[in-house]
Amino acid sequence: MGQSAEFDAIVVGAGPAGATAAYHLAKRGFNVLLVERGRGAGSKQVFGGRIYAEPLREVFDDLDKAPIHRWVRRERFTILDGDRELTLDFRAGASTSFTAYLTQFTQWIAQKAVDAGAVLADEVRVDGLWLDGGRVRGIVAGPDRVAARVVIVAEGVNRLLLERAGFVHRASPRELALGVKEVIKLDKKTIEERFGLEEGEGLAWVLLGEVTDFIPGGAFVYTNRDTLSVGLVVHLGGAYQLLRDQVHVLAERLRTHPRLSRFFEGGDIMEYSAHMTIEDSVGYMPEHFAYDGMVIVGDAAGLLLNTGLTIRGVDYAAYSGYLAAKGVERALSEGDASAEALRRHYEVPLRESFIYRDLMRHRGASYAMKNPRMFREYPRVALDTLEEIYTLGRETPLPHEALARALSRNRVGFAEFALRMLKVVMSL
Amino acid sequence: MSLEMMVGIKWVPNTQNVRFDPKTGTLIREGVPSIVNPADLDAVELALKVKDTYGGRVRVITMAPPSAVKGIEHVIGMGVDAGVLVTDRVFAGADTLATSYVLSQAIKKLGLPDLLFFGQETIDSSTAHIPAQVASWLDLPYVYYVDRVEEVNREEGYAVVRRKLEDRYEWVRVELPAVIAAALKSQVPRPVRLSEKLRFHRDKPLQTLTNKDLGLDPRCVGLRGSPTIVAKVTWMPEVPRKRQVFKGDAREAARWLVKKLAEEGILVREDGRWRVRVA
Repeated sequence: MGQSAEFDAIVVGAGPAGATAAYHLAKRGFNVLLVERGRGAGSKQVFGGRIYAEPLREVFDDLDKAPIHRWVRRERFTILDGDRELTLDFRAGASTSFTAYLTQFTQWIAQKAVDAGAVLADEVRVDGLWLDGGRVRGIVAGPDRVAARVVIVAEGVNRLLLERAGFVHRASPRELALGVKEVIKLDKKTIEERFGLEEGEGLAWVLLGEVTDFIPGGAFVYTNRDTLSVGLVVHLGGAYQLLRDQVHVLAERLRTHPRLSRFFEGGDIMEYSAHMTIEDSVGYMPEHFAYDGMVIVGDAAGLLLNTGLTIRGVDYAAYSGYLAAKGVERALSEGDASAEALRRHYEVPLRESFIYRDLMRHRGASYAMKNPRMFREYPRVALDTLEEIYTLGRETPLPHEALARALSRNRVGFAEFALRMLKVVMSL
Repeated sequence: MSLEMMVGIKWVPNTQNVRFDPKTGTLIREGVPSIVNPADLDAVELALKVKDTYGGRVRVITMAPPSAVKGIEHVIGMGVDAGVLVTDRVFAGADTLATSYVLSQAIKKLGLPDLLFFGQETIDSSTAHIPAQVASWLDLPYVYYVDRVEEVNREEGYAVVRRKLEDRYEWVRVELPAVIAAALKSQVPRPVRLSEKLRFHRDKPLQTLTNKDLGLDPRCVGLRGSPTIVAKVTWMPEVPRKRQVFKGDAREAARWLVKKLAEEGILVREDGRWRVRVA
């Protein structure tokens, strides 16, 4: 096979990052090939359930036509331990995010790419990057090699191509987490009644504590139009020693938890999925986002932010794909796809964008979340303190007494607790 | 002239994901992605192997709504040369008789190939009618359960194929043109290749035939041409399991099991022996 098919750009991976890059390049008149391993765009991806809209408005001028399920107004945060529960329930004045099926959303983007003239070749596994003296010249898929002026790597969190070609280190378990998710079908009305939602309104719910067996990580519930996305994420670094069951058992326990099962009762499980996700974005990031003949976007570039309360990755992915398309356009119009040119036109804008800045600003929180006590002792301190305050016999403790008792019960030193909380607050 | 081959494929809902509506007894197809009927990929692979050896051309043909182009793209990705989509509103609602009639007339119109392949059966209805009926309409010899094409001799007008039977193989010499149904799961369909996918997108090797092209009597096609009536769909009632577990050694377990089965009336004692009660 020769170089009969020469493209301006080959995008590897039709997820939100790759499909967006392909769309914006095709729209600008470039000859683009979008290669996807799964059947159809977006068929191999898994996410929790929520997408932040604001950055996408710059990327797609018709975002309101996207397959949006519910605009999220209600945010809930819960710590569970036995029959004790602490919940923070917040209804926002306005909504800036929506729930969706990521596959539908990605297909919506990929269709735009195809309509703009990109070639989508699905069911094709890319086996390697075609390297020529350190320069990326194209891709290798089985016996075929296809050349392009630039390759956009959007292969996701499981970045085998970049690893094999030596562009990134092998991911450490500390940088990754495992997510499992079930989609549970319930009718629209039932969802709204059970979660106290107005019509069409969405809920995002993060749960800690017993639901992950106190392993670092968290559980989530998102309301779609007539389904719920229910799942959990456990940090691989912590799970090593602490995980006592298979992760799917944890998912089962979440769904059947006595305090939660009433939300899911009567629903049919439509699908079960599992995927790796990024936990420590900064540690996972490649050294550069552009090399000779190649740029890296989306999860493959480590662009995912989990603050513990909010998780965002899809908007980052799409926005990085958009920045990559603009950068590649500039570089190609100058006839220069060197690392230097691609860094100037893509990597620099990415590093100056809200994405990279926020990932750096939040890296402290990521360290805080590596402490297993954040997920076992500290949630219990909160519950025990409230228990002291509300469960009264004859004596009514002062708040600081309640906290002191809760701390000593969980063998947490006051100084350690104060320092840790301060760190978390500072990092936020 | 080189060897001409054609493979009939069907675009079916992936029944692994399909469920029945218990009230209406019909398939819930909503949101279920369609695939090329897996058995048809055996037929495609069998034809491509013949092409690997003898050269020639392999085309696929399907009667389906236009969404089936995705399935044609898949087999072209495997190396099939071109696809024919037979599609028309009047063909909708067809049973196997009307389907095989339309397919056979379309194949006649395209010119009879030397070898016409089909999968053994489809996952959404499992009738295995189509290859036999098409062979009947076209008055061609039909060999099924074929797992290998041993020899094709176009000049002398015959092929030798191997049939995979339960306990033996059978070699059949058949006159060309012939209809051949591939034995279920007898092949490992080759993966899709990027270069073939690119050929599909570049050359669009796709032909569409409607009833304007075929000119078939509307009374013989689609729902009107289908004498089959599905009177009722029902399913086996689920037997509630009692889920009793006995722990102990094998001898005790066997006694316990016999006692339990007798209590249930499944085993009956007759002439000093246990036997299974015939319902």
